[in-house]
Amino acid sequence: MAPDAVLSHLHRADGSATYTHNGYCIIGAVNGPIEVLRRDERPEEATIEVNVRPAVGVGSPKERHIETLLHNTLRSIISTPSIPRTLVQITLQVHSLPDEDSSTGVSPSLTLLPHLLHTALLALLSASIPLSTTLTAVLIALPSTNTPTACTQLLSPTAIELLRAKPIRSAHVFAFSGEGKMLLNESDGTFSYEEWDEAAEAAEEVCCKEDGAVVLAENMEVDGREGENLDGWLRSVVRTKVEHEQRWKSAR
Amino acid sequence: MPQEAHISVNERTFIQDAIKEQVRLDGRAFDAFRALELTFGDEYGVADVQLGKTRVIARISVHVVTPAPERKFDGVFQIITEFSPMASPAFEVGRPTNAEVVLSRILEKAIRRSNALDTESLCIIAGLKCFALRADVHVIDHDGGLIDASCIAVMAALQHFRRPDVVVEGEKATVLSIRERDPIPLSILHQPLCVTFSYFEEGELFLVDANLAEEQVRSGEVIITMNRHGEVCQIAKYGGATVEPYALFNLTTLALQKVKEMSKFIQTRLDDDAKKRNASGLLSELSAENDRPFDKPVG
Repeated sequence: MAPDAVLSHLHRADGSATYTHNGYCIIGAVNGPIEVLRRDERPEEATIEVNVRPAVGVGSPKERHIETLLHNTLRSIISTPSIPRTLVQITLQVHSLPDEDSSTGVSPSLTLLPHLLHTALLALLSASIPLSTTLTAVLIALPSTNTPTACTQLLSPTAIELLRAKPIRSAHVFAFSGEGKMLLNESDGTFSYEEWDEAAEAAEEVCCKEDGAVVLAENMEVDGREGENLDGWLRSVVRTKVEHEQRWKSAR
Repeated sequence: MPQEAHISVNERTFIQDAIKEQVRLDGRAFDAFRALELTFGDEYGVADVQLGKTRVIARISVHVVTPAPERKFDGVFQIITEFSPMASPAFEVGRPTNAEVVLSRILEKAIRRSNALDTESLCIIAGLKCFALRADVHVIDHDGGLIDASCIAVMAALQHFRRPDVVVEGEKATVLSIRERDPIPLSILHQPLCVTFSYFEEGELFLVDANLAEEQVRSGEVIITMNRHGEVCQIAKYGGATVEPYALFNLTTLALQKVKEMSKFIQTRLDDDAKKRNASGLLSELSAENDRPFDKPVG
């Protein structure tokens, strides 16, 4: 199923998004460009601050690690030189996780990462922060099989699928920019270079092929829309947003 | 870190003058709450409260710990309130603002210290194992009335939460998952709810459920926590406005009326949710809990 997104629903934040996919629900908010602390101020570009807040408890080193990854990835898509000496503050609140998330055998930071990236991007779009490109991300899991040649990749698997395919040998998160350049790769587990290459190729298909109906998961084509990949999904979300904002023009 | 934008002098006098003429900016009566909305998540113990534009999510979670040595028969119950920049850019992570300190203190007094939750029922094996319950309060959107909204969210989430069942054999305790045994509701002794009264004009006028602009203009506040039986759990007063002692009696009467309305609202929402979960009517068959006869106590 394609992810579900609601944009600009919070009143205080400059931009906000709620993103639901496969049982993961994340609320993202962006404030920016706002005043920055003197010690964080950069003369020629904007400072980016990412806060990830878990559903239960306060932030731990795991969240700090995810924040670093998000910070580095988002820095390369936000057009920071166009808003120098300001702060872009991104807050991501994990609202709910699937029940099975902790028992999948895949590092929970990897399963969460693509969803956090998408939420952050949607919130940035909602806040109209200047971006140099967009971003799409996907999780790929390789279950361990006896014959490594016949192993099937799990593209953007749900927590239940991961649980059924246990044990998972390796998991990879890839993020691609709108132009199809790889922005982020996080891998966990044991894998050969060929497997990684195959996974990267599959991820690129899901994330950013413009034409050709690529099937995201087995049950993907139920929606019946053409070219159902993440790039297409992102475009449809932005189209809805723009249509909503321009409704004063089309109203008669 | 950016400061909270202070309300301008014009806006301040405008709100004050309007209140003097018995008008609120959003047209509400002085003793009216904003529209209250309460939804529960798919999981047990998640309550999403919307009070006007304010939105608070409370989430209850549980794990097993060793109880404190001086309180062998008690479980652990914590309420965690941490503001994030989502609610306002002035809220910084790791540096609590005044509002945050006040909120956590009031919730502590209102819910934890009034013994709304029977912590002894969280004990599994005395001195060895007990449940640690934590309530995380996430402020998603901030437009005033955080204390009232958070209190509703925490109490609704507590009433919605089901803890897993345990089997004790001697020194060994096994926590049964939701699939194995139907989870058990918490034992809640009473349902305290907060009502905040904002004072204007040096204690001559007061409003119920002020929004953010009114909160910035007010000269003082009185927070009353009551349950629907009319028992006052705590009264707190902040700010400089002078409040007559007798006026507090009036406030408690008004608070009781509001608390009764809110309790009723929470109960209808809980019943709706229970009905939705128990569509086939099989849930009562699965329950391992004994019925508690509610007889009148002797004497």
